[in-house]
Amino acid sequence: MSDLELEGRRAHVTGAASGIGWAIAQRLAAGGARVAISDVDEEGAKARAAELGSGHVGLGCDVRSMSEVSAAIDATVDAFGGLDLLVNNAGVEIGKPMVDTEEDEFMTLMDINVNGVYRASRAATAALAAAAAAGSDSAIVNIASVAGVGGCPLLSAYCASKAAVIRFSEVCAIELREAGVRVNAVCPAFIDTPMVQRLAPAVAAMTGMEFGDVVAVKQGRYGTLEEVAEVVAFLGSSEAAWTTGSHYVLDGGISGGLL
Amino acid sequence: MAGKLEGKIALITGAAQGIGLAVATRYAAEGATVVLSDIDGDAVQAAAEGIGGSASAMTADVTSEEQVAALVGEVVAQHGGLDIAVANAGIATVQPAVGMSLADWRKVTSVNLDGVFLTLTHAAGAMAASGGGALVTIASVTAQAGSPLISSYAAAKAGAVNLTRTIAIEMRDHGVRANAICPGFIDTELVKPHKKTFADALGLEAMGIPDFDAFIAMKQGRYGTEEEVAALATFLASDRAGFCTAGEYNLDGGLRASLL
Repeated sequence: MSDLELEGRRAHVTGAASGIGWAIAQRLAAGGARVAISDVDEEGAKARAAELGSGHVGLGCDVRSMSEVSAAIDATVDAFGGLDLLVNNAGVEIGKPMVDTEEDEFMTLMDINVNGVYRASRAATAALAAAAAAGSDSAIVNIASVAGVGGCPLLSAYCASKAAVIRFSEVCAIELREAGVRVNAVCPAFIDTPMVQRLAPAVAAMTGMEFGDVVAVKQGRYGTLEEVAEVVAFLGSSEAAWTTGSHYVLDGGISGGLL
Repeated sequence: MAGKLEGKIALITGAAQGIGLAVATRYAAEGATVVLSDIDGDAVQAAAEGIGGSASAMTADVTSEEQVAALVGEVVAQHGGLDIAVANAGIATVQPAVGMSLADWRKVTSVNLDGVFLTLTHAAGAMAASGGGALVTIASVTAQAGSPLISSYAAAKAGAVNLTRTIAIEMRDHGVRANAICPGFIDTELVKPHKKTFADALGLEAMGIPDFDAFIAMKQGRYGTEEEVAALATFLASDRAGFCTAGEYNLDGGLRASLL
């Protein structure tokens, strides 16, 4: 599958050696984009880039480090001659009650899920603005979550971090509008990933329901990695040229209903 | 390349002009068989002829339950089913809420809310009978915030968004998805005649802003286009958006994101 809207776009996806990030990287590459895959797992990132084939790059990058993030963005710009699309995907979860969450755990999650988005956005803005000035439809897509839209027990730090990402995206969208850089967030519900499966026992214990039943009742079914990647591909393409400062949910209705 | 809506049967209300016509045009280009409906029979016939191919036109007033039921029934009878319905028909009047007559209020809400109700409920019923489908409501960012001088329009759009969400949840197990699109200001015939009125009501001159167009440039970068709404309506109607339901999708150049 190729899309006119993604053909030739120069993209960087953080946390892309596995899970949603890897699905996004595959979708963008399938649409004709050149993709830089960065991940704290450098070997994994390089292996994934090799899997995509020539023209893509893999980079080690811990989003907790400004210097590593800057270096990864610079390497992408060097490799591709510019940057049109940044996907801030790197993220982690903690699944336990707030009162049992240690300060260092909470701080580490925020450092990755929130501060990491800030670091990469800041590092990439000049390149994205330069691409826009040259006629590209530049964009940042931040992977938030429906956990940023509504509360979810056992996910205090995660929910707070994803709500922060949504609001951060709005401000970036307004500030960067004149520079031609669009900024949006994507909010998936429970996708069948290892991260969600790690949360399942705790959520089941808290709600008194089998986790699979919670998913079936609240969102119909699990979403798929590919469905997340489709929304990212849409927002990251010129099809969404007037969409900025928005957050797009894909959640089977979990955030759209009251009960 | 295969279209994104290949083989789908799509009904679009209020399709003689504006966003409805842009959606119908894009859907047809993506491989869908489109049925355009409008209260203005001559105009919608011309619009369908302009699209060409398998596009066809039907005349219907969305405020009439009898006519909407007949419209959906006719689409199903002619094409063997219904996969996509876009509740787009809408009107606006510009006047303060205080002092508005109930008749004026209902003139707008009957089209923009009752009409959406009738379109969604009849279309969803037909879709459920044939294994599912996608409903798209063309709402507005005015659904999400106080909107001076267009109270009836904004309130009806808010109602339409909420109704869309509720139908999405009620119909989830029947394979019917339903989503609302909330555009910011597009330079359509709904907006064009009222720019001076808005500018005066907002006190733009006192703020040193020359006119409504300049205000729009500040708040949402530029006017959006009907084609941009059609692109989002295509995504949401397509199988690519299979996990998107009961959602509210803004495209507004950042208008709603800012408090200022």
